[in-house]
Amino acid sequence: MEFFIQQLVNAISLGGIYALLALGLAVVFSIVGLINFAHGELMTVAGYGLFFAIGVSLGLPIAIVVAIFAAVAMALLIERVAFRPMRRADVTGLLLTSFAVSVILRVLFQNGISARGMPVPMPSALAGSIDLGFAHIGVIPLLSIVATAVSLGGLLLFLKHTVVGTAMRAAAQDFAVVRLMGIPANRVVAVAFAVSGVLAGVAAFLWVAQRGSVDPLMGFVPVLKAFVAAIIGGLGGLAGAVAGGFVLGFLEVACQAFLPAAILPYRDAFVLGIVILILVLRPEGLIPAQTGKRS
Amino acid sequence: MLGGLGVSRESLISGLMLAAIVAVAALVTGFAFGANGERIATLFLIYLCAVLSISVFTGGSGITSFGHAAFMGIGAYVSGILTMPKALQVSALPQLPAFLAGHETGIVVAVLAVAAAGLIAGLITGVPVARLGGSSASIATLALLIIIHVILNGAREITRGSQTFYGVPRLTTLLTALIFAMAFILIARLFRDTGPGLRLRATRENDVAAQACGVSLFQVRYIGWILSAMLGALAGALYGHFLGAFSPKDFYFDLTFLLIAMLIVGGMLTVTGAIVGTALITAVIQILRLAEGGIDLGFVHIPVIFGLTQLGLGMALLLTIWRRPLGIVGLQELGPKLKALVATAPAETPAKPASSDKSLSVASLSKRFGGLQACDDLSFTIARGKVTGLIGPNGAGKTTLVNLICGQLKPDRGTVMIDGENMVGRAPHLIAKAGLGRTFQAIKLFDRMTVLENVTVAALTIESNLSAARKAAETLLARLDLAREAQRLAGTLAYGERRRLEIARALALKPRYLLLDEPAAGMNPVETEALKSMLDRIRHDFDLGLLVIEHDMHLIMRLCDHIVVINKGQKIAEGAPAAIRRDPKVIEAYIGAAPETEISPSTPSTGGVKNETAIGIA
Repeated sequence: MEFFIQQLVNAISLGGIYALLALGLAVVFSIVGLINFAHGELMTVAGYGLFFAIGVSLGLPIAIVVAIFAAVAMALLIERVAFRPMRRADVTGLLLTSFAVSVILRVLFQNGISARGMPVPMPSALAGSIDLGFAHIGVIPLLSIVATAVSLGGLLLFLKHTVVGTAMRAAAQDFAVVRLMGIPANRVVAVAFAVSGVLAGVAAFLWVAQRGSVDPLMGFVPVLKAFVAAIIGGLGGLAGAVAGGFVLGFLEVACQAFLPAAILPYRDAFVLGIVILILVLRPEGLIPAQTGKRS
Repeated sequence: MLGGLGVSRESLISGLMLAAIVAVAALVTGFAFGANGERIATLFLIYLCAVLSISVFTGGSGITSFGHAAFMGIGAYVSGILTMPKALQVSALPQLPAFLAGHETGIVVAVLAVAAAGLIAGLITGVPVARLGGSSASIATLALLIIIHVILNGAREITRGSQTFYGVPRLTTLLTALIFAMAFILIARLFRDTGPGLRLRATRENDVAAQACGVSLFQVRYIGWILSAMLGALAGALYGHFLGAFSPKDFYFDLTFLLIAMLIVGGMLTVTGAIVGTALITAVIQILRLAEGGIDLGFVHIPVIFGLTQLGLGMALLLTIWRRPLGIVGLQELGPKLKALVATAPAETPAKPASSDKSLSVASLSKRFGGLQACDDLSFTIARGKVTGLIGPNGAGKTTLVNLICGQLKPDRGTVMIDGENMVGRAPHLIAKAGLGRTFQAIKLFDRMTVLENVTVAALTIESNLSAARKAAETLLARLDLAREAQRLAGTLAYGERRRLEIARALALKPRYLLLDEPAAGMNPVETEALKSMLDRIRHDFDLGLLVIEHDMHLIMRLCDHIVVINKGQKIAEGAPAAIRRDPKVIEAYIGAAPETEISPSTPSTGGVKNETAIGIA
């Protein structure tokens, strides 16, 4: 029973991180049609923000704020420098652009900071676990779940109750019409990137808290997963991205916990095989994105 | 064999020219610059094979494949295991399963085995990729790359896992690489112009229109994918025998990124582009590798930059997408100029006796979108040899109805019968094949293909081979007065010509029924008049039933034998033009006015404005 609850908590916390990242991808994709591979580098930047802030002993809460700001600044920068000139390119063109941006940023990190991993010391309170009576649960998984819930709730409020948020939801359905309504397109796009930066920042903190170090390739694997999650959920849909993130988290934890040891090295192959199966059965994803297009 | 494929002489000459240029360039580099030159030339040829393998699928389908590096990995490991000396294999791979161990085959057996492995990998992985299409398919290929990487890493007994796999004989010389590259160039260049290649390119340009021309999206993507997977595995074997020692990470993101950059920079739509891109990027990499160690220019010292080649590739990719999205080469293959068709006088065919007993009939067809009943229990019949008009105010459900008939949408209820056969549940391309041609409200042509290719794609659906299809297409173009434009790209035609080409393409299916969705939209009165005489000619020359959806009352009243009026998804009237014109329900639906008004046939055409003002009050 305890094993089961621990696995459940692991699945929710891992799924939560994927959900945050997938949501960041989906927010941008829904508006500009860009699958942002460089999202991982936003995580890496946030990780370095955390590293430097803790390095000058600013304390964890301020370090987290610094990390998020770093990710937002980087998101706005790459939007302005790399993606705005490419606005007319198609989905594949944009994907390749972000691929290139991601590679370039990684090279810059390797040369500008270090090719090796840098330790990020976390307060010892985060390392422990809490006894809930029926099960011992790690502090970090719990923190992940709380942070995910707060971020998702905050984003929901932002999207429902602010003008820019409403414009973003409208833009996700039909960007052209939103522009015709006199809402400045560049601002909506910039806000979308900023939101994706915030989400990447939060995810980066949770990721670094578990691993204790940051390196130039840090963002690559989680964003690859998030990317898969966004696809399962239905690319472009925000609810779908969250659902996809949790589905992927559950699949991974379940495969890790229940696959026999002999085939455990193939875990990712299994998970991705299931993902492809989901896609074949539902090419539009679990929760297809709503768009205002007609034939 | 080439004759059987129906590939034209021009394609063959173009392929041979490309192969010859590559051969000369590679041999000059290989012999003029010593051992290092030979190494670079060999590497270039290997990369070229790999890029061409991607180009066969990606250039044809427009779906960028990120998965080919993985096929290369499969090829490299299969060939490595088979050709490895026995003694070495015992120490390198002590746990190798018996059926794989101790073969020490020659290169021919290894090549066949690699091709077979590529075929099997293509057959399996092609199912999701071909089913998905578009950017989802692209993403599925990315997942494939990761899956195969995980498997190569996990299968330690066979691949030594993430450790270096060594002892692979270095069989790839400049000459072997050159032979492979020339074969790859010919295959890739000729494939473009075969039946499957043409149809694959049509799906890239417009998948819905391709289906309407009888193309099975799955089938042509699947064929392209399998061929390209086999070529990828072979290119990988070549690479493996060049490296001699490698590990799974040599066939992962870095290689993918490199190959994609080559493909995009040169231009993914042509074989010429693949060659140019590969040559350029190979050269750039060599220069950057030299610079990577730091350069002392005397007055300024450039420090060591880690990953300079990656940086260069990224920049090249960005610059291309930003400045030349189609790549350096763009759309035009290197090769002989294609001759425009000589406009021959169309052979006069006598009017065929109308098979008036046959018909396309729609019975109680219904479709609901959420809260909107787009089609509500619609029934009517399109008689062969007659022109049926379908009119109704905007939002009446006309386009939904067309999409239901053509199979783009599935009805909730009801049947669509073509000459007694039920079409409901059939895929759009099968309905097209069964004898239903259509045009689209917003013209959907294969813009980056020639006029002749546009029509040939449709003709391929009913003709047995490519030459017959091309002949049929040429005849049709001559009859519709498009022969002079045959070698132009469809995207460069004027509006009226585009409409005509779309109709020509639909006629190439030799349809028994033809659906025209607002053929006169956006036309001025003169163009509309030309359209009318063309439609009159078509109904005279071809034995088919026409369904014309129009807002231009002037046109519809003079053209049609029978008119069906729908509003809010329901049929409100049906009959001869004269009766429809006086029908009070029709008048009310259109202008909501008192019944003494009448829709006048003498009202001038609206000349392009798609609205209901083409109704006069008598």
